[in-house]
Amino acid sequence: MKKSLQLAKDFFKYGMVKDCPVYDMHGHMGSHYGIYFPSSSAEKMVNAMKQANVKKLVFSHHGCLMSNAGNQLSIREARKFPEYLKVYCSVNPNYPELAEKDLAAFDEANDVYAGIKMLADYHKRPITDAGYKKAWEFANKRKLPVLLHTWGKSVFDGPELVGEVAQKYPDAKILMGHSCHGEWEKAVGLANKFKNVYLELTAVLDERGPLEKFIEEAGSKKIFFGTDMPWFSYHNYIGAVLGAAQKEEDIRNIFYINAEKLLKSPGDA
Amino acid sequence: MEIKFFDANIYLGTQMLGSYKPAVKASELLEKMDELGIEKALVYHMSQFEYSPEEGNKMLVETMEGSKRLFGCWTILPPQTEEIITEDFFGRMKKNRVFALNLFPVHHRFLLKGIVFGQFFKELIKRKIPLVLSMREGGSTWEMIYSLLNEFPELLCIISDLGIWGVDRYTFPLLEKYRNVYLESGVLSLHEGSFEMAIKKYGAERVIFGSGFPEKYPEAAMLHLLHSNISAADKMKVASGNLETIISGVKL
Ligand SMILES: [Zn+2]
Repeated sequence: MKKSLQLAKDFFKYGMVKDCPVYDMHGHMGSHYGIYFPSSSAEKMVNAMKQANVKKLVFSHHGCLMSNAGNQLSIREARKFPEYLKVYCSVNPNYPELAEKDLAAFDEANDVYAGIKMLADYHKRPITDAGYKKAWEFANKRKLPVLLHTWGKSVFDGPELVGEVAQKYPDAKILMGHSCHGEWEKAVGLANKFKNVYLELTAVLDERGPLEKFIEEAGSKKIFFGTDMPWFSYHNYIGAVLGAAQKEEDIRNIFYINAEKLLKSPGDA
Repeated sequence: MEIKFFDANIYLGTQMLGSYKPAVKASELLEKMDELGIEKALVYHMSQFEYSPEEGNKMLVETMEGSKRLFGCWTILPPQTEEIITEDFFGRMKKNRVFALNLFPVHHRFLLKGIVFGQFFKELIKRKIPLVLSMREGGSTWEMIYSLLNEFPELLCIISDLGIWGVDRYTFPLLEKYRNVYLESGVLSLHEGSFEMAIKKYGAERVIFGSGFPEKYPEAAMLHLLHSNISAADKMKVASGNLETIISGVKL
């Protein structure tokens, strides 16, 4: 690899760089209906993190999102590795009572909770739906990160709907998971228009071009690294960022500086 | 110990709907390969897929400009229409540095069956010519590949452009049953643990490095391979050894 940047060279040589850790702001856990995941347990995921110097992963367990196992599943697993794992409280708008119960118990797990997760494309209700209202108010009041699954042209979590919630809940820190996949222009527009809206890289990095655009047009301070772990591998995704970002400052912002700020004190991010 | 890379999945040219910094000329691709540290590549031309296999195959040869670091991969169509597979086909492959073939049955509208390719595929098996089966939209489907290998179990196939959603439930049975089936590593390396698991179960001989350039970042598959949990000897096989063996075994 004849990259000019020493930081990139070091990643290729050592597989990780001590003073450039990585924070993964978009993860899951557990087995899945549609995909065989060889490394989906908390133990194996943390092992993968260690091999790439990934300091923290914020995740929502598949069981919380795709069944009604509830957030206890995420909480239990995160507590096995409190140094590495943080949890998004998953909210399913089809079961508002369950969501309300989990939000009411949020403080009992504030050792591991880092924010809220909405998977509207799968749960088939728009992010503006009444079933999400309590969660939005909660996040807004506490200035919490909200990781949305967002997809271009989606009627559940497309860019227009992101704009609506961003305006209505200005203190919630909205991470656009997948950055409105395919509607990159609109995702950049939202990140530029709203102080509380950020781009996130899961399923963005398997295509050349979008990240270069994000850095150029929205700036690396508005971009978070994420992998959908155990879906996508760290070294593949880290390599992709190194392929796209040409400045050390951008790489550091994306890998850890932005996330450290957000997780330390979401209100100031 | 330096690992040499022989990339099995690169195309030249641009996509109809726009491409991000593609390599249009051989010199541009070679420059990119130098920057990345990729020594050789098996290449096709995007026009073989999007425009016309007949014209695209010619464009590939012109664009490769005879570079010794580039190895051509032509696109085939059913022999019966005589658009591609005509008199002295293998002789022309040899003359033009074409060592592999690919096909896109969905986009090019034909079936991947013995009734279409019977005699021709028997010839590929005899000559050990690799057939690249792309899973990109418009390429092959898993149903097609399963039925193809059922008819031609000895066919040397490289399954490339694996889907973004993990495909192990499709690929592991094929690796288990057919010894000449290989997986291209680009998207495989995207899936956490799948690359290592495929190698653990079926051997490093069955995975071939591919970057997916210009659509994908070669740095992604490369960094992954360099720091994957397999032995140094296995990394060499995947990075270049396996494809070297296949290409040197081709009889034209
Ligand atoms: Zn996700």
